[in-house]
Amino acid sequence: MKINYKNTYIQKMGIVVICSSLLIIPACKKSFLDVDPQAQQPAVVFWKDASDAAKAVNSMYAQLRTWGNTAFPALALESMGSDEAEKGSAANDSDYLNAYDNFTVTSTEGQMGGFWEAQYQNINLCNQVLDNVPGINMDASLKARYLAEAKFIRAYSYFRLVRAFGDVPLRLNVPKTPAEFNIPRTPKAQVWAAIEKDLDDAAAVLPQTYPAADLGRATKGAALALHAKVAMYQQKWDQVLSFTNTVITLGYDLYPNYQEGFRTNHENNIESVFEIQCELLLNNKDASNSQYSQVQGVRGSVAGWGFNVPTPALVAAYETGDPRKDATIIFRGETTPQGDAISPTGDNPMYNQKSYVPFSLIVSGYTEGSQQNVRVIRFSDVLLMNAEAANEQGNPTLAKTSLNRVRARARGGIAGILPDVTTSDKEALRQAIWKERQVELAMESDRYFDVIRQGRGAAIFGPKGWKAGKNEVWAIPANEIDKSAGTLTQNPGY
Amino acid sequence: MKRIFTRISVLAAFCLLTINVALAQNITVKGKVVDGGDKTPLPGVTILIKGTQNGTQTDVNGNYSISAPANATLVFNFVGYTALEQAVNNQATLNVSLASSTQQLEQVVVVGYGTQRKIDVTGSVATVKGEDIAKQASTNAVSALQGKVAGVSITNNGAPGSSPKITIRGTGSIYGNTGVLYVVDGVWYDEVSFLNPSDIENLSILKDASSQSIYGIRAANGVVLITTKKGKSGDPVINYNGSVGYRVVTNQLAMANATEYATIINELSAINGAPNLFANPSSFGEGTNWYNQAFRNALQTNHQVSINGGSEKSTYNFSLGYTGEDGIVKTQNYKRYTAKFSNDIQVLKPLKIGYTISATASNSDDVNGSIFRQLYAAGPVVPVYYADGTYGDANDFSLGGGNNFNPQVTLDYFNQKSKNYRYNGNFYAELNFAKHFTFKTSIGGDFGQAEVRGYTPVYQATQGQRNDKSLLEIKRTEDRNWILENTLTYKNTFGDHNLTILAGQTAQRRKNYYINSSALNVPYSSEGDLYLALGNAADRSVIDGGSLTTYSSYFGRANYSFKDRYLLNATIRADAASQFYGGGDLWGYFPSVGAGWVISNEDFMKDQKIFNSLKLKGSWGKVGNAGVPVNPTTLVVKQDGAYVVVFNGVAYTGANVSSLVPSFLNWERTTGTDIGLEASFLNNRLNVETGFYNKKTEQAIFEIPILSSIGTSSGKQIGNQADLQNRGFEFLATWRDQTKSGFSYSISGNVGLNNNKVLSVVTGLNPIYAGGAGLSNGGLATRTIQGGAIGEFYGYKVDGIFQTPAEVAASAQKTAKPGDFKYIDQNNDGVIDGKDRIVLGNPNPKYNYGLSTTFGYKNFDLTVDIQGVAGVDVYNANIGSRFGNENFSKDFYDNRWHGAGTSNTYPSAAVGSTFNSAPNSFYVEDGSYIRIRNIQLGYSLPSTLMNKWTMKKVRVFVDAQNPVTLFGYKGFTPEIGGTPTNAGIDASVYPLSAVYRLGVNVTF
Repeated sequence: MKINYKNTYIQKMGIVVICSSLLIIPACKKSFLDVDPQAQQPAVVFWKDASDAAKAVNSMYAQLRTWGNTAFPALALESMGSDEAEKGSAANDSDYLNAYDNFTVTSTEGQMGGFWEAQYQNINLCNQVLDNVPGINMDASLKARYLAEAKFIRAYSYFRLVRAFGDVPLRLNVPKTPAEFNIPRTPKAQVWAAIEKDLDDAAAVLPQTYPAADLGRATKGAALALHAKVAMYQQKWDQVLSFTNTVITLGYDLYPNYQEGFRTNHENNIESVFEIQCELLLNNKDASNSQYSQVQGVRGSVAGWGFNVPTPALVAAYETGDPRKDATIIFRGETTPQGDAISPTGDNPMYNQKSYVPFSLIVSGYTEGSQQNVRVIRFSDVLLMNAEAANEQGNPTLAKTSLNRVRARARGGIAGILPDVTTSDKEALRQAIWKERQVELAMESDRYFDVIRQGRGAAIFGPKGWKAGKNEVWAIPANEIDKSAGTLTQNPGY
Repeated sequence: MKRIFTRISVLAAFCLLTINVALAQNITVKGKVVDGGDKTPLPGVTILIKGTQNGTQTDVNGNYSISAPANATLVFNFVGYTALEQAVNNQATLNVSLASSTQQLEQVVVVGYGTQRKIDVTGSVATVKGEDIAKQASTNAVSALQGKVAGVSITNNGAPGSSPKITIRGTGSIYGNTGVLYVVDGVWYDEVSFLNPSDIENLSILKDASSQSIYGIRAANGVVLITTKKGKSGDPVINYNGSVGYRVVTNQLAMANATEYATIINELSAINGAPNLFANPSSFGEGTNWYNQAFRNALQTNHQVSINGGSEKSTYNFSLGYTGEDGIVKTQNYKRYTAKFSNDIQVLKPLKIGYTISATASNSDDVNGSIFRQLYAAGPVVPVYYADGTYGDANDFSLGGGNNFNPQVTLDYFNQKSKNYRYNGNFYAELNFAKHFTFKTSIGGDFGQAEVRGYTPVYQATQGQRNDKSLLEIKRTEDRNWILENTLTYKNTFGDHNLTILAGQTAQRRKNYYINSSALNVPYSSEGDLYLALGNAADRSVIDGGSLTTYSSYFGRANYSFKDRYLLNATIRADAASQFYGGGDLWGYFPSVGAGWVISNEDFMKDQKIFNSLKLKGSWGKVGNAGVPVNPTTLVVKQDGAYVVVFNGVAYTGANVSSLVPSFLNWERTTGTDIGLEASFLNNRLNVETGFYNKKTEQAIFEIPILSSIGTSSGKQIGNQADLQNRGFEFLATWRDQTKSGFSYSISGNVGLNNNKVLSVVTGLNPIYAGGAGLSNGGLATRTIQGGAIGEFYGYKVDGIFQTPAEVAASAQKTAKPGDFKYIDQNNDGVIDGKDRIVLGNPNPKYNYGLSTTFGYKNFDLTVDIQGVAGVDVYNANIGSRFGNENFSKDFYDNRWHGAGTSNTYPSAAVGSTFNSAPNSFYVEDGSYIRIRNIQLGYSLPSTLMNKWTMKKVRVFVDAQNPVTLFGYKGFTPEIGGTPTNAGIDASVYPLSAVYRLGVNVTF
């Protein structure tokens, strides 16, 4: 082109305009388009030091509070099928949960998917730690402990999965390639083996006690006790006995007041083997997210929604005068030991007292009772496992010692109730231990799978619709099977 | 638009004036030329004495004076208006009103990076004049487009200050930013609620891929170009527009009254085997009508002043605007203040510079988002207040969960104020050189700041509605965007060949930052207390975040025409976006080509009398959508409150990787083809435009569910997942005429038909389910699957209601109760389960239509606009979403099943059970509607009076927006909206309302 201006002033002006605009053109420069993520740390610069490892380990514990781990999905799969609990709440509210009580549930029902997803989310966070923390340059013993904590939580999650579904995809590393994404179900024997290996590794490293700042982390005792439970579900009685014998020597004891032991001010007490740590943090609603107490709280009060309520069958299971009945069940119209008067009218005659948070501690606008820890394993469970294993291994004396220790605490100093079990008959003692588990661990999501592993599913839950050969496990979530394009198979009967 | 014409006509007139007019024996004819519609004076109208080259033009006030033979005929010509011939008949005064001919091919159209004569346009561009937008009672300019443009679907939300949803030629994107691109004076925006409609000069909607592709990167969902008013040379012209009116709820949903409520709740208890809640339902009488309690006739006020003028070298336009709008819910209101200043300076003959600066401030008192759900659900047996003045408490009536609230408490204790400030503008310099070249550089900036401040005091109003610790929450958001553009245009004519070539470059940066903070126990004795500093120091909370994206682009366009008969257009745009940096196709290339044949300009058409113009056009183009999340291929660490763990009462930060990102992401691109025909007949009185389009979105980006066992927190992964298609047809016809008696009118109708289809999706025939928001019991009301429409409604087909236990026993639904829905066992396997679901409806409207009419007679003008949507379904989620004893609509109450034989269509009161609330055909209703969108009657004071008052124009008007809407849907309004896979689901939408106004337009 030919620019032929007479007026040099105009020419200059034009050049100034063009040049000035060209000068601020940042286009074409790579740096202009290479934009860092804002307010989000790229994963490639994470996993660099001990504080990254600490944060990642913390996230695993936090994850255990989530809805799928503690609320509807968990209660539906681990509690409502039992004879001790039913849906509760208003008849119309979330009546899909009834299908877990009457065993009409089909594979598309959402709680199974919710439970499945939650466990695998736990496992992913553990796998992230186990894959990445070994490469971090940090204190070796702390690193070993972090890895052991991750193995404990991964084992706990797989235990809940294999118990609920049988064969499940076993992921021991973070999947990286599409080929690793869609994997078939691993036979449950291999899953059990993986759990046992994780727990062996964890128990070898984890400390028995922590300084106060770390109270609530997985301990050696927790790993051993969970391993005992894992062994119990596989009838490996020798292992149950040896693990529980070890745990008994680790300094645990029964908390004197059974009812008080479940209150927030007695969390992580001497009886506590493992608890999911939950808290109400003012002005941090994201962290105050456990709905464990809320969904089971007294409906119509400030406390919650009233799901997963005790049944008359549970009431009937208690021996006359057993203080644990009143400690486990909030009856409509009662006044709780903490002084809350429960309305005599309302949707449900009974509520779970083990998840109960006194009304005075509830803060409006926050998840009701979000400060209540979930008791996963208590020492009384360890004693009862010890009793059962001893009995199965032909040692009724030890069995009775452990069993009666639990009953003695339950008595709470009241004479004339809950006499010591004296029989040495193996079957009678077994029945007594099972019965004790039912009342001691009532409303703690133990009963349902306990009865199934005892082989009594049809006998006890049959009248509610439970069928042998099908209901030992729940259905694999239908949409997970859909997403796998058939790689995953369904459990029989669903 | 008129003012753009003005500039062109000034040039034309300038040429004409050089012709020396010298005729003897003439009389002097004087008069005024005004717009036939709104009676505004028309400056720059050329007036020729018929049969001669002699003429003049009107001045800035529309006045003219010409010396002409007493028996001559004057021809009035003005771009954009129908030419008018008027005999002088020895009159000294000849006032004329010209009928606008906006659809004529001579019209100039604003297109991307320039203007084109309408006749040269080969794509599909719809133009709306600013005055047609400003005229309406809409605070948001886009809202005013409803029913005006074929192929453009507007879904309005009645909340004050809210932005409507606009869809151009169907839903083409599923994820991220699915909205259109707004370009205001060259600066890019995602929404234009900051804009005062009165400041708009012209609005162009680029509908086809060839006209959009010059905006490649962000154009896939359509482009709306807005030009604001610029100054015009001449004495200052002062304009005042003001109106005052009321917004009134229409089509208010009738709910069961207290007696009916108590009756149906007793039925519900009986079904659930519980004792009656109400011993004597009739004792409650009518009870509380919560809608009446919360709604009001809401005041709406508008004031706008503008000053316009300038010298030959420098022009200016200055405007100030105020809009005050109360919400139809008590306590809600919105105020907006706008100021705009633009200045254009001809520095030197070849150099022009100019700028536009606008500032907008808006503030609002908000209502709790749950209020509409509460008003629907609240028990009418609960009084607003007890006799002692305390709040009625649902707990005293044992209503239980689900509606354990008093909506009045929710209104009274919700204290949230939002403030928005936005400053934006652009500066440009335009240099003409070497005769045919124009270089333009422009830099635009947009700075926005928003604050939301909420305060909740300590209170105990009812058992369920209380707050234990006062809470102050402050959220601030900032947007800092800039855009730089350089274009070089070459324009030349070689004999019969016209050629325009445009080359350009642009870069932009968009930065968003937000910070949310809160503190407990903040005192509140005055507004001065509402600072975080006064709250608890120990547990203050603060979190921030942001996003940053950059774009760099080059583009070019060539327009060629031969003898104004054969038109060719080609564009190419290359875009790079930071989202695709290091993990995708960084550069996207978006070409387009368009061709047109102006048949009416052919020699063989010369003698025909049917067509005034006839044009056939076709185009093809590609456009892109960069509206995806920032850094989509970067795996990031999640560190948030949910990962905080507490050991022994002390909180510790947690963080981890819990997502999965694609290693590579391609551009989402849309390929569109378009064929159109434009014709005008009968002396340009009838204009017809019609077009077909086929728009295909390739590699649409969205999230699809992945295996839960991978353990990510969302369970989804973003990627190029699907191909989508929108095909349609548009038709527009306008008739305008003026009778000898001075009655002028125009009738314009448009209809757009669109079919939406998913061509392929990576999940194949494995559907993506969505639409769960607002539904209870985990129901998902929509699915997206290959071969279907995006987000089609999906569920069970109802085949009546179970009347008796025997009927239940004989069915596939053994656990059902009488009064429950009877579903069709589609696969005949004897079980009702997910496999029995079918497609129940389509939330994507098939037809959008509108009819706009204007009538003018003497000093009166009347506008009536009708608008409607047909071939669309909506999902009423309100009926089945229940957790306890929520209220029912009167319609449900009247028609419900309550014993064998009472109904075979409506279920029993247990409609909220998992079984009955599962998505099914009962909840899917026809969402078609037709409405009178706008009626306006205006009267302009006679010009004699104006002259006496030395004013140019005074017009008073009354109008009504949405006074009548007709629909069969049983909710508040079928106009619902929603994101693509959640569209058309009514879960407590903002109610429909009408606006009635009285207003005045004054010009000095």
